[in-house]
Amino acid sequence: MGVFKLKKGYDIPLQGSAERRLEKAPKTTAVAVQPIDFRSLRPGMKIEAGDTVSRGSILFVDKQKPEILFRSPAAGTVREVVRGERRVIQRIIIDVVGDSAEKFESYTADQVNNFSASQAKEILLNSGLWPTIRQRPFSKIADFDALPKAIFISAVDSAPLQAESDMLLDGQDKQFQLGIQLLSKLTEGKIHLSVSTKTKAFFANIKGVELHEFSGPHPAGNVGVQIHHIDRIQAGEKVWYVSPRHVSQIGSFLTGGEYPSSKTYALTGSELEKGYYVKGREGALVSDLANMAFNNTTQRVISGNVLTGVKSAAQGFVGFYDDMITVVPELEGRRFFGWLRLGLNANSFWPMFLSKFTPKKKLAPTTDMNGEERAFVSTGEYEKVVPMDVLPVHLCKAILVEDIELMEQLGIYEVAAEDLALCSYICPSKIEFGDIIQKGIETMEKEG
Amino acid sequence: MKSLLLFLANLDVKIKEGPFKIVHPMFGAINSMLFTPGHGTTTGPHIRDSIDMKRFMGIVIFALVPSILVGSYNVGAQAGVEGLFAAFMFGFLKLLPIIVVTYAVGLGWEMIFGHINGHDIHEGFLVTGILLPLTLPPTIPLWQVAVAVSFGTVIGKEVFGGTGMNLLNPALTARAFLFFTYPGNISGDSVWVALDGFTGATPLAAAASSTGPAVETLNAAGFTLSNMFFGFNPGSIGETSTIAILIGAVILLITGVASWRIMLATLIGAYGMALIVQFFGADVAGGMRTLPAHYHLVMGGFMFGAVFMTTDPVSAAGTNIGKWIYGILIGVMAILIRVFNPAYPEGMMLAILFGNVFSPLIDHFVVQANIKRRLNYGK
Repeated sequence: MGVFKLKKGYDIPLQGSAERRLEKAPKTTAVAVQPIDFRSLRPGMKIEAGDTVSRGSILFVDKQKPEILFRSPAAGTVREVVRGERRVIQRIIIDVVGDSAEKFESYTADQVNNFSASQAKEILLNSGLWPTIRQRPFSKIADFDALPKAIFISAVDSAPLQAESDMLLDGQDKQFQLGIQLLSKLTEGKIHLSVSTKTKAFFANIKGVELHEFSGPHPAGNVGVQIHHIDRIQAGEKVWYVSPRHVSQIGSFLTGGEYPSSKTYALTGSELEKGYYVKGREGALVSDLANMAFNNTTQRVISGNVLTGVKSAAQGFVGFYDDMITVVPELEGRRFFGWLRLGLNANSFWPMFLSKFTPKKKLAPTTDMNGEERAFVSTGEYEKVVPMDVLPVHLCKAILVEDIELMEQLGIYEVAAEDLALCSYICPSKIEFGDIIQKGIETMEKEG
Repeated sequence: MKSLLLFLANLDVKIKEGPFKIVHPMFGAINSMLFTPGHGTTTGPHIRDSIDMKRFMGIVIFALVPSILVGSYNVGAQAGVEGLFAAFMFGFLKLLPIIVVTYAVGLGWEMIFGHINGHDIHEGFLVTGILLPLTLPPTIPLWQVAVAVSFGTVIGKEVFGGTGMNLLNPALTARAFLFFTYPGNISGDSVWVALDGFTGATPLAAAASSTGPAVETLNAAGFTLSNMFFGFNPGSIGETSTIAILIGAVILLITGVASWRIMLATLIGAYGMALIVQFFGADVAGGMRTLPAHYHLVMGGFMFGAVFMTTDPVSAAGTNIGKWIYGILIGVMAILIRVFNPAYPEGMMLAILFGNVFSPLIDHFVVQANIKRRLNYGK
């Protein structure tokens, strides 16, 4: 067991963390599967509006790799295939009616243990749960033809207000164990499971994994950071990663013989009186989960956390990889001499506001950019929030000038946008590090 | 407040589309200074730090206030004005026109380039516009200030692409321009005291020309260590008072605006080099080499440069290891120039510009080391 105490990083003190209380979703009227949740995916549709589907029906496939299936998390009627700019398919909305489910074969633990690698792969592809496995570099759905060096699972919850892994698993340790057994067929390397002091107890008895303990501020819980510290990606290597919740979902599929779509979410954010956990469906409608109404003009509903989540709405849906909803106040308008304020309640990494004297005080920042974009000026601070041997500014500059060789040398294969999200947060020049990294990753993929 | 916001919004449109488009960068800067821009996030991170460039640069200006106050007083005191307030006002009225000219000319250029490049005036100039006047003697002709600012802004910054892209510190570029084109107005013994026909050598000049041990010459001229620490001697307006500069340094370091690595490295480099020079200077009778090492730290522009100029994040090295090398290099160079350059007793300005030129190279080697380390991982 490796113990990693990370010093670099930053925990933004935010109001609205979820208390450990699990409720049932008030209703389930609609769900959606969103192709835009999967980076660089082009969907090949198998259904159209008006079709009747069961839980587990195939909705679409990956056009480039048609073996990768996407199945419906609920039974009902397809209300709409929503298209965005240039007719890109954004989401398939299903009005939930009943709960009829497609049947699959179910397996015992012994059977799973005797699977061959190709059997395991075939079952996972057919289950519709292959997209739960992602790869680095490029942080996208794993390439099933590749043999990953190792598989990483992070049960360290460090992102702002992040849901706690053991709450999301809701006692499904047996399913989790079975999921691990299946995943172990897919790599000749190790399965690395990272835990924190909080989640250690839940995962202590899991077999077939290499256990690591991570502590420290965000992004210590990011799988990219953990890969960097446990077993770095070298040129030409690939690693896969899965979230703990998805591992147990795979386990549920194996024992249950149905597509398991029940999912626990954390409802968080300063706009909620009290955060809590709620059990609903995969791809749930936000207004189905919450027992209060949200106002889209005064409140920002985010699928995911405040750093890396996607802007949603009260009538929006939760993303495939997201297991939390964060609701924060929208920006209030222009503030008079905002840059001169004393800042008793100013959220800041920098010791330039009075709030620095009350570091424990939880704040409720709005979606204000708090400034305008400028050229790179500040140096030396970004490194403080990146617990990796990566030079964030130099990497970003290499991406901006499209110097492929330099990008490679400075570690583009190791990072995802989420790993540098705190750089964007603390940046006085308001530079979007995440967008730049994303651009770099896309460039590398094209050069491939 | 609401009507003011509405007025600004209307004016913004009118200026942008009217015949006076060219002042829009200026208007934009004032507009966003009065009220926060009010832009919301569209992608993650959905919330952002409260810091922006205005706060960042505002703190540098705040940190310069002690130097402005003590410096102004000293200009009056050197000119023989009696009374605390009277001396301050005398000096301040010398400093103010220099600042006004610097801002007027500099912002004019910024406006033109902002118009060409389609952006608002950036906050960086607000700092440059205070830094430059503080490095000048109180007797500097204002037209020279105007020419120097033009050079510093256009050649020092805008030709590289504006704030953030410049190689050299614009304020020091402007000062170096004056130093090489009009040396008579920025060096020698007759420019430091704001009284016609009055000459007063700076402590550095006194030490350099001493024939006996430098400390004795300094003490005889009234330049004791404490006198120089508090800053009551002839020199550039903002550079004389070490204590005022150090108060600024504390502000910069507490707020994290300036790099402690650079400041400390510059001090270490200078002090170390001065010790070496002092050690090997035991055989000479007088001059700079007889000066004890710690004297260097309170004399001339060293401390002002170390606190406010070396730490300019744009022209300094950007990597953490690079900052150590950069700072030490500047400190060492400053002392070498002071001691071994016979023409001019001050070396800080040229040392910093020298460091600026080398900082991309220093960073290059630090980045190469990172690349090498990454390649060797696991081997």
